[in-house]
Amino acid sequence: MREKLLAILKMLKLHQVDYADIRVNEIIEEKINTENLTVRDISTTFSKGYGIRVFVDGSMGFAGSQDFDKLEETALKAVRIARASRLAQRQAIRLSAKEVVVDHYQTPIGIDPFTISKKEKLDLLFKAEEEMRKHAKLFRTVGSMDFRKEEKIFADTEGSYITQKLYETGGGIEAIAANEQDMQGRSYPNSFRGNHGTAGWEYILDLKLVENAQKIAQEAEALLDAEECPSGVYDIIIDGSQLALQIHESIGHPVELDRVFGYEAGFAGTSFISPEMIGFQYGSEYVNVVADATVPGGLGTFGYDDDGVKGQRTEVITKGIFQNFISSRDTACLLNQPSNGTNRADGWGRTPIVRMTNINLLPGDRELDELIQGIEDGFYFCTNKSWSIDDKRLNFQFACEIAYQIKDGKLTGKIYKNPLYTGITPQFWGSCDGVCSEKYWTMFGTPNCGKGQPMQVAHVGHGAAPARFRKIKVGVADVK
Amino acid sequence: MLNKEQIYQVIDFVVNQAVGYNVRVVVNSREEGLTRFANSEIHQNMFEDMTGVAITIQQGKKVSEIKTTRYDEEGLRLAVQETIDNLEFVPEGELELPLVESPEVLEVEEVNEELIDLFNIEERARLIKEGIDILDEGFKAFGALSYTMESFGYGNSKNVKRFASANTVKFSVLIDSDKGGSGYAEANSNLPDEIDITGSFTIAYDKAKMNQDPEQLEPGAYTVILEPLAVGEMVQYMAYMGFSAKSVQYKRSFLTGKLGELVLGKNITIIDDHTNEHTMTMPFDLEGYPRQKVMIIEDGVAKGLVYDTASAIKDGVETTGHSINMPGMGALPLHLTIVPGEESLQEIIANTEKGLLVTRFHYMNVVNPRQAILTALTRDGVFKIENGKLVGSVKNMRFTESMLDAFNNVETISSERQQVPSFRGTNYVPALKIKNFHFTGKTNV
Repeated sequence: MREKLLAILKMLKLHQVDYADIRVNEIIEEKINTENLTVRDISTTFSKGYGIRVFVDGSMGFAGSQDFDKLEETALKAVRIARASRLAQRQAIRLSAKEVVVDHYQTPIGIDPFTISKKEKLDLLFKAEEEMRKHAKLFRTVGSMDFRKEEKIFADTEGSYITQKLYETGGGIEAIAANEQDMQGRSYPNSFRGNHGTAGWEYILDLKLVENAQKIAQEAEALLDAEECPSGVYDIIIDGSQLALQIHESIGHPVELDRVFGYEAGFAGTSFISPEMIGFQYGSEYVNVVADATVPGGLGTFGYDDDGVKGQRTEVITKGIFQNFISSRDTACLLNQPSNGTNRADGWGRTPIVRMTNINLLPGDRELDELIQGIEDGFYFCTNKSWSIDDKRLNFQFACEIAYQIKDGKLTGKIYKNPLYTGITPQFWGSCDGVCSEKYWTMFGTPNCGKGQPMQVAHVGHGAAPARFRKIKVGVADVK
Repeated sequence: MLNKEQIYQVIDFVVNQAVGYNVRVVVNSREEGLTRFANSEIHQNMFEDMTGVAITIQQGKKVSEIKTTRYDEEGLRLAVQETIDNLEFVPEGELELPLVESPEVLEVEEVNEELIDLFNIEERARLIKEGIDILDEGFKAFGALSYTMESFGYGNSKNVKRFASANTVKFSVLIDSDKGGSGYAEANSNLPDEIDITGSFTIAYDKAKMNQDPEQLEPGAYTVILEPLAVGEMVQYMAYMGFSAKSVQYKRSFLTGKLGELVLGKNITIIDDHTNEHTMTMPFDLEGYPRQKVMIIEDGVAKGLVYDTASAIKDGVETTGHSINMPGMGALPLHLTIVPGEESLQEIIANTEKGLLVTRFHYMNVVNPRQAILTALTRDGVFKIENGKLVGSVKNMRFTESMLDAFNNVETISSERQQVPSFRGTNYVPALKIKNFHFTGKTNV
C-alpha cells in the first residue's frame, strides 16, 4: 500500500500541486441494542476507502473513493476539482508549516473489544436491564454498546507517513416509565447511548452498568409523578455529564477557527468570538478550559490529526480569560500561527475540518457538598435531555432528565421533571463560582457532533465535574 | 457508482451465498459532488463515490446484520459468512419479520440527464461565481451547491427485486453584510427549471439588505408568518417525535391515545406522499415494501401513522412501507406535504396588521415529545410587519412552543409551497401564519 500511495503523491507533484495528501481509512463498528430483555438489533459495519486532498495554485480539491483500482483517476479528479475552485477564488489557501513525521500511534487499550463475544456483551446488558426492572415499574428498559476500530494511513507530499490504530468503546442503559399522560426516562452514565472513550472492553466493565441500574430505574418511575420544575431565576449546580454538553456547545464550537472565519456560516454557523478577542473575559476565574487530544481515554484522543499534525494540549480559557482557538493548517495560517492539530474527517470520503478534540473544563477544588451548602433555593440539574444554541453560540437552552431540589444548603430529596435552563454564553460562564475537584471529574464522550457539508459526525470528548452557577434562568413557562 | 445491473449482481451474489436462510440485501450507491463557498470564494470542493451493502439474515426470530463497503466477491463472501456465524449466538428477538413477496419487481428511474452537465464540477463553480458577482462591496456569500446521483437496490431470498435511482441538486446561499445582517435562500430539486442559482442569490441578497439595524423585541407571544424553510423544519421534527407507529407504541408521541381525535386546527392536512413530484423518488422502503401514501392529519384529525413491519405486527396491521432500517425509530415519513391554502405569501403579509416574518430556524430540538414542545432560534432575517408592510428587521429570538398549540393557531396557509430537505427525504410545505407563537428568549444579534 505504501508504495502505491507514494506513487500517487509523486504523480500529483508532476501535476504541480502545491500540496497533496492521501488518507486511507479502514473502519469496523459494532452496535448492540437491547430492549425489554430482547435484542433490538446488532449490526457490524465495515468501511474501507481513501480520500485525496490537493491544493493547486492555492485552490482546494478533494475526491474520495473505495475503489483502490482507481487511485490515479481519483487523484486526477481531485486536481480537476481544485482547478475548478479557482474560478471563484480570491485569496490563495495557504497551509501553516508543520513537522514532517513518520510514526505510528495506537490507542492504549487493556482488552480488544472485538475479541469479546457478542454473547458476553449481551449478557451484561440483559443483567443491567433485569436489575432496572427488579427495582421499579418500568415501561421500557434499554441497553446499548458501541465499539469502533479505525486503522488509518496518512501520507503527504511533504514526506509525512503516519499510521494509527484507534479504538473506541461505549455503553449505557436507560429506564423509561410511562403512563397514558406522560413518559419520563433516566439514563446512566449519560443519555444518548451512555458514555464513550478511546479504550477497550475494560471501559465497559468500569462503567458498572448493573451496579447503577437501580437508582435510575427508581428515579424514572418517580419522575412520572413528580412536579414540573418551576420557572424563575435560581442558583443551580450542573452535573458533569450535562456540563460536558454545555462546554461542547458554548465553548468547543465557538473556539473552532473555521467557524470564526466564516467557513461554516452557510450551515452550522459562526462564532461570537473574533481573533481580536484573545484576552476576552469568557467566564469567571473558576473557568479553566483546555483542548487536549492527549488525555488518556478521551473520545477526542488521537496521535495525529488529518493534517498530519501531532495531537496536543492547548490552553483555551485560563482563569476565565480566552487564550486560543482550535485550528487546522489552513485556518491557523490566517493568524500566522502553527496548527494546534484539530483537523479531522469522519471517514475516508470526507475532507477534514476543524473539530474539537477533548475540550475539558479543568477541575476546581470544591466538594459537591460545599457547592450545595452555598445555595439557599435552587436545583441540581443532571443528565441532558435536549439542547439548542444559536448560530453564533450565544443563546443556549438545555433540558435535563431530572432536577433535585436544594433548600437552605441541602438536597431536600424532592425531584422535579422536565427541568430546563437557558442563558447567554459569556454571562453564564461568568456566573460560575465553583467547580468540583478532581475526585468528581470525569471524561465524557460526545459521539454525535454534526458539522460540515456533506454532514460529518465527529467523536469528541469533554472532561467535567459538577459546577455551580448563580442566577440562572430556569424554565420558560413564565413567558406569556 | 454501481448501475442497476451491478447492484442486482451484488444482491444475487449475496442471496446465493446464503441459501436456506431468509436474506434481504439493500445496496446504496451514490456519487456526490459538493462545492462550498465562504467569504465569496470557494473554500471546500469535494467528490465522494460510495457504495454500501447491508445484509440481513433471519432465522426465525433471530436477526443478524452486517453492513459493508466491500462489494467485491471476497468482501461479500466474508460478510455473508460472518452474518450467518453470528446467528449461532444471537438470541431471539421479539418478532419474526416476514420478507416482502410482492410485487416481485418494483423499479423507478428518475434521472434527469440535463442536470449532469448543468451541475458538473466546473459549472457549479461558474454558477457560484455568477451569483457572487451580483453582490456589492460590503456583502459576502456563503453556502453550498451539490449534485448527487443516488441508487437504491433491494433484493431478498423470495426473488423480490427493487431499484430506484434519481439525481438531485441542492443549493443554499447565505448573504452576510459587513454591518451584520444576513439573508438566506435555498433551491432543492431535480427539475432544472426549479433550480435558479442567481435567483436564490438575489432572494438572500435582498433579505440581507433588508436585515439592517434590527430592533430587539422582548420575549412573549407574537403573530408570526413562518416561511416554508421554517415550517419544513418544524414538520420534520413533528414526524420524528410522533408520526410513526413506534413512537405511539413507545408512548413517546404527542399522538399517543389521540388517533381519531381533533389534535390540530381544522385547516391542517398533512400527508406523506411519495407520489408528489416535488418530493424524493423512493417508492419502496428499506424492507422492500411498497411505500403507501399515508394521511397523517386530515382537517386537524389524527388519521394515520407510518409503519415498518415490526410496528405493524404489533398493531395487527399491514406495514405502510416506511422502514428506514433503524429498529429504534421503526419508521419515518420522508415525503411530508401540507395541503396549501389560497393566499400567496405576499397576500398573507399584506393582510397582516402586526406580525413577524421568519425566514428560517436554527438548531431545532425536541424539548418534550409527549407535549410536542420544540425549541429553536430564528436565523437570517426576522422582519417586522405593520399594516401589511415589512417595516424593519428584528434581532434573532428563541421560541419554545408546543406544536399542538402552534398548529391549532394557524390562521392562514400560503398557496405556494417549497421543497425542504429533511433528515432523509424531502418535504413540500407552504408558509404558515400563526397567532400567539411564543418567543421565550432573545439575542443581541
